[in-house]
Amino acid sequence: MSSVTFENVTKRFGEIAAVDALNLEVHDHEFLVLLGPSGCGKSTALRMIAGLDEPSEGDIRIGARVVNDVDPKDRDIAMVFQSYALYPHMTVRKNIEFPLDARKQPAAERAELVSGAAESLGLTDYLDRKPAQLSGGQRQRVALARAIVRRPSVFLMDEPLSNLDAKLRVQTRVELVELQRDLATTLIYVTHDQIEAMTMGDRIAIMRDGRLQQVGPPQDVYDNPANRFVAEFIGTPPMNTFAATAEAGRLLVGESVLQLAGHLRASVPDGPIIAGVRPEHFELADGAHATADSLSATAVLVESLGHERHIHCRLDSSDVVIARAAASEVCPAVGAPLRLIVDPQRIHAFNGDTGASYALA
Amino acid sequence: MRSRDASTPRTPSRRSKRFRETSLAYVMLAPSLVIFAIFVFYPFIKNFTFPFYQTSTAGGFGAFANESKPKWVGWEQWGAVLGSRDFWHSVWVTVQFVGLTVPLGIALGLLLAVIAHQKLAGITFYRTIFSSTVASSAAVASTIFFSLVGTQTGLWKLQINGHGILDDKTWALPAIAVVSIWQSLGLSFIVMSSGLQAIPDDLLEAARVDGAGASRRFLRVTLPLLSPTVFFAFVVGSISAFKTFAEIDLLNPIGKETGGTSLLAYQVKRLAFDSDSRTGQAAVFAVGLFAIVLMLTLIQMRLERRVHYAR
Ligand SMILES: Nc1ncnc2c1ncn2[C@@H]1O[C@H](COP(=O)(O)OP(=O)(O)O)[C@@H](O)[C@H]1O
Ligand SMILES: [Mg+2]
Repeated sequence: MSSVTFENVTKRFGEIAAVDALNLEVHDHEFLVLLGPSGCGKSTALRMIAGLDEPSEGDIRIGARVVNDVDPKDRDIAMVFQSYALYPHMTVRKNIEFPLDARKQPAAERAELVSGAAESLGLTDYLDRKPAQLSGGQRQRVALARAIVRRPSVFLMDEPLSNLDAKLRVQTRVELVELQRDLATTLIYVTHDQIEAMTMGDRIAIMRDGRLQQVGPPQDVYDNPANRFVAEFIGTPPMNTFAATAEAGRLLVGESVLQLAGHLRASVPDGPIIAGVRPEHFELADGAHATADSLSATAVLVESLGHERHIHCRLDSSDVVIARAAASEVCPAVGAPLRLIVDPQRIHAFNGDTGASYALA
Repeated sequence: MRSRDASTPRTPSRRSKRFRETSLAYVMLAPSLVIFAIFVFYPFIKNFTFPFYQTSTAGGFGAFANESKPKWVGWEQWGAVLGSRDFWHSVWVTVQFVGLTVPLGIALGLLLAVIAHQKLAGITFYRTIFSSTVASSAAVASTIFFSLVGTQTGLWKLQINGHGILDDKTWALPAIAVVSIWQSLGLSFIVMSSGLQAIPDDLLEAARVDGAGASRRFLRVTLPLLSPTVFFAFVVGSISAFKTFAEIDLLNPIGKETGGTSLLAYQVKRLAFDSDSRTGQAAVFAVGLFAIVLMLTLIQMRLERRVHYAR
């Protein structure tokens, strides 16, 4: 049961910094999700905790101890690899037993721990099979069983669900959350899938090009993205962003005018900025009604998902945004003019150059 | 329309195109087929007939010597050779030689491959050195060996019990084995290296995280996963070791006729081509060698799938 801390950690491979000056504290018993697009340095960060990669600069702590020079086996961690990395020549039983065996646990205890771990993951009937004789989902469970059998204080998982089909992924997501709660251990979970991050993590840490963008509980990150990248990375569909001009506490978008809410009015400077609105925060209205706080637009495409519709609209400024509407609402005709009403409280404003949110300024 | 399509035979133009392609293939294959037929297939089959003939009192066979017409002796010569001490002694010597060279060659190749697999600075240099003997033949290896330890002209003039190492009854065979191992080491290294490279890194990383030290990782993960490669190297290495000839012919060790270095392949050459030209007897030795190699090949084909790990 341990915290994990990155203190100014940089990892370089030749010229590129896979992880760049990372500062992050993962609390004891926390389920932390490292989220970001492929190649942003998530795996590298995880591997440094495991001791498979060494930081070029900075310190990594597990608990209070700096572990930079500690061998993986002495870090009291367990890792689930994206490929599962099961030993193909060993039975499921031997696979799960391997970490105990390597640590010279007495045979009697070993058998008990193995059957306990196998039972908790529903593997009891498969103990004598080889990995090749298992389905993808079962292999994934063996990898989990091998990780939990030793009761490490920190769990590391690198995209453990990415090789499962969509249905199994949803089911396993729930099981993993329950597993982490039962084991009451620190879990650091790497994924590029923002839905996994939103649904599983106590907190999310979002990375891009080796740099940490934002850390926080999923809802916080969703509601108050620190920058345009985070805003556009999280949410399905993600936040709409479009060019606007700030002028005396208002936003001009083509012919339309939006009021800025109090907290932004002070921090947004006059001039061009990037405005952001989540798809569910647009309210559709007939084009004829020239309401205040609305954007005039033209519907260009309607996607129906059954329970809701995604209406793609072109603004005067020619940016395209998506508005989300319940299936029960009247569906606008493609090509029809319409208005998108926005509550000023729901408007985000980002610096056009740096992408940083003005809400945090 | 559809049913007619299905029942219509191939159009003549399509058939002739096929025919043209096939004939072209045979034309292109012809040169190597001819060479194979003359130098491999014909001698191979002909060899099975030699043991049934005898031409001289010494057992010589007229094909290569100035002897009289070959005499049909039926199975007599088969029995004589297969019942002889010389044949079985030669088999035994060859088995010893294979037992010496193959496991050691594989072990050394594996050792070098493991060293070269480390992520160390300048490792490409070692890889090049380790695999360099692939470019040498048994004849080259023998010549180099001779120029190093040869009794009269060698650099070191290696002496054992007052004579050269190749003239020592006990050490001649091991000395030949050393030459043979050295010569095949490059290949063994390359085979083992490719085997090591085929083992996914994350398996060994998982083992590290699971708490296994270097030796446990090697014994419990690397070696088992390498076993198909080792098995392959073992069979292929054995087949090639059973056919060892050049080292004996060139290094001329003591006991090469009927003594401690009388390898089977060399006996075939010696009996057939030395002065009294006992081709019939040589052919029985050749068939014996063929039987052993065939057996190894069959074993490999049988077991190959069984030692493979599905991923
Ligand atoms: N062993 C390595 N050698 C060189 N570059 C590497 C190595 N591992 C990762 N990288 C680079 O570091 C960056 C981050 O990689 P990684 O941590 O695997 O990203 P992620 O897991 O987020 O997809 C990538 O640009 C990748 O190419
Ligand atoms: Mg990765």
